[in-house]
Amino acid sequence: MNQTQTSTGPILTTDGIPLKVSLKKAERINKIRAFLLVLPLLAFILITFLVPIGDMLARSVDDRQINTVFPKTFEVYKKWDRQGLPSEEVYKTMFFELKNSEGYSVGKASTRMNYSKSGWKSLLKKSKRKFKKIEEGPFKEQMIAIDKKWADPEYWLALGQMVDPTTMGYYLNAVDLKYDSSKNIVQQKENRRIYNKTWIKTFKVSLLVTLFCLLLGYPISYLLATLPMKYSNLLMICVLLPFWTSLLVRTVAWMVMLQQKGVLNNLLVMSNLIADENRFQLMYNQTAVVIVMTQILLPFMVLPLYSVMKTISPTYMRAALNLGASPMHAFYKIYMPNSVPGVSAGCLLVFIIAIGYYITPELVGGKDGQMVGNWIAYHLKTTLNWGLCASLGAILLAMMTVLYWAYNKIVGIENIKLG
Amino acid sequence: MKKAIKAAFFGLISIAFVGSATADITFVSWGGAYTASQQKAYIDTYSKGSSITVENYNGGLGEIKAQVEAGNVTWDVVDVLPDQAITGCDEGLFVKVDQSEFINDMVVPPVSDCVVPQIFWAYTAFYDKAAFPGKKPKNIKDFFDVKKFPGKRGIHTWANALIEMALVADGVKASKVYEVMSTPEGIDRAFAKLDTIKDHVVFWSAGSKPLELVSSGEVVMALAYNGRIGAAILSEGKNFEYIWDATVLEQEYLVAIKGGNEKEALEFMAHASTAESNAEQAKYIPYGPMRKSSINIIKKGEPWFITSSGNIDILPHMPTTPKVLKRAVIGDPVWWADNGAEVHERFGAWKGS
Repeated sequence: MNQTQTSTGPILTTDGIPLKVSLKKAERINKIRAFLLVLPLLAFILITFLVPIGDMLARSVDDRQINTVFPKTFEVYKKWDRQGLPSEEVYKTMFFELKNSEGYSVGKASTRMNYSKSGWKSLLKKSKRKFKKIEEGPFKEQMIAIDKKWADPEYWLALGQMVDPTTMGYYLNAVDLKYDSSKNIVQQKENRRIYNKTWIKTFKVSLLVTLFCLLLGYPISYLLATLPMKYSNLLMICVLLPFWTSLLVRTVAWMVMLQQKGVLNNLLVMSNLIADENRFQLMYNQTAVVIVMTQILLPFMVLPLYSVMKTISPTYMRAALNLGASPMHAFYKIYMPNSVPGVSAGCLLVFIIAIGYYITPELVGGKDGQMVGNWIAYHLKTTLNWGLCASLGAILLAMMTVLYWAYNKIVGIENIKLG
Repeated sequence: MKKAIKAAFFGLISIAFVGSATADITFVSWGGAYTASQQKAYIDTYSKGSSITVENYNGGLGEIKAQVEAGNVTWDVVDVLPDQAITGCDEGLFVKVDQSEFINDMVVPPVSDCVVPQIFWAYTAFYDKAAFPGKKPKNIKDFFDVKKFPGKRGIHTWANALIEMALVADGVKASKVYEVMSTPEGIDRAFAKLDTIKDHVVFWSAGSKPLELVSSGEVVMALAYNGRIGAAILSEGKNFEYIWDATVLEQEYLVAIKGGNEKEALEFMAHASTAESNAEQAKYIPYGPMRKSSINIIKKGEPWFITSSGNIDILPHMPTTPKVLKRAVIGDPVWWADNGAEVHERFGAWKGS
């Protein structure tokens, strides 16, 4: 009797709480526990990955370095018609803002202004020192007397690029464009157009490296997966040994091998295959970068390929052969499609690592092997143009995201297999 | 047992406190023979209580700026190039220094208020005597003349000093180089001169590379840091010869990083920049001291350079002797701080085209 009565109401636990509520509670505790377990990792990713990337993206458009130092100058500057030289008012405002500026703000501002027009840096420094002696106007003539750069409209026009607190200027710079004084987008001066070429080169080298890694890695992985254990273990060590060797050691070893008076060229000359004066130029150029990077990144192709090929049952191939397929046909129809997840994982991995490579191009790149990473390093260390670094980095990131998205659309990310 | 652990524990804590009473200094420099010379000349002899850890870096202000901006300064004293000394001081990355002790004793005035003098180093052309059995290259014109002296040239991957040398090779007087470089036509002229050797160059970026290139015969002549050439001649017995023409002299300074152990850093820098310390360093590496009185100390003390087989005269290997200075270009860091980025981009375009 009792049983039938309770069946219409909610099911209760022994302490009289409805079972649903009790279950929810238990689940919630489990959820919190699970969340707490992943919390360290989440915090780690947030702090070491997402925050820096966010900071980088912010830096790539931030242009407040000088707006905060010369706010009034920019107010009057906006009224200037960009013809000839600005009025006495602009000079006067600039004069007082520079003279009365404190601390290191001018130093930072001048670094930024120097990106737009070389020469601002020393101009501001020298002027600030000499302005101390000047008390009253007219300021235009006195400033020009201190340094004739003040009479060069190009310097004033360059300020026009910096009137807003945010800028796309760094992104433009990263693709060989720039703002003119009225913030129209124009091409960079011809002899400074360097980044588009570098982008193309970076892509070309990364694609070639990926291709060569695949061509070389596929047969190795096939052997690794199909040879009897005792041989395949030995082969595996041959793959892993270089992987464990320092990157620098391997790069330098290639230098010894490939340079004009190096091992390879010497052997060719000694065996009379080439004449002494026709030695191959295999080092300090793009060819060298492709060769060395292929060798260095090969394990990143072999390992995912191997782990996928290992799971392809040999019976598939035997069945295909049994059913009358020629070995080539069976390989093409059965083995290759089964190994695609490994191929895509390997290619994606190698390409992503290659596109941001820095140290190998730096060492063996010579005249035409420099990649985007080398320019980022240069601006990061030498010119301190971190805005440009950030925009170059952000473009790289965007390219990778697009690539990942396209890959996901075409092949499907769930088809990637690392093991 | 418990007592022992307790004692050890408190012992450790007290050591930690003693350690922090005189803060340690991290001294950051370029590594190799150069850092070794600093170590012997004035780090090993420093006895003010701070213990000094030496680290290496690859130049540039990137790491320093990152440390100061993040408020996590782990470097205290850094060995920097002059244009970085200017930029870093302007941007407030370095501590201002009292320069009264040495300001009147300098070969050239210090580039900023944040520095103490270290050395002059130089970009110099050199060759292996064996590569030229007959006529030998004598000046920078010969370096740029691939008809008269066929063979490859080793040059560095950045524009500094190359522009200056190219102009001198094109007939500009060494003292007028920066005047010419300040005009757009001047830069064009330098690149036109560089064009003449473009198909004959091998680029290097690490300081030891040009020596290898010349030793192995990969190139017949190269530009290199004079100290590296000197070390190869003096310590390794290489048969190299300098081309002391259009040698580009660069300054090298020590700075203290803002937010580090500033007091200890400045004390150490005062010790490292005495005339004696500057001269002492030349016992181990042939770079030129920046203080006039250091050069006098060396002159009196010759043979000054220490090798395993006795001492050798060092002045012939120095870039600051009157003979070299007469034909040298004194690098202008202000010009490079202004124009470095633009010229370097153009140089990159030139290299790749």
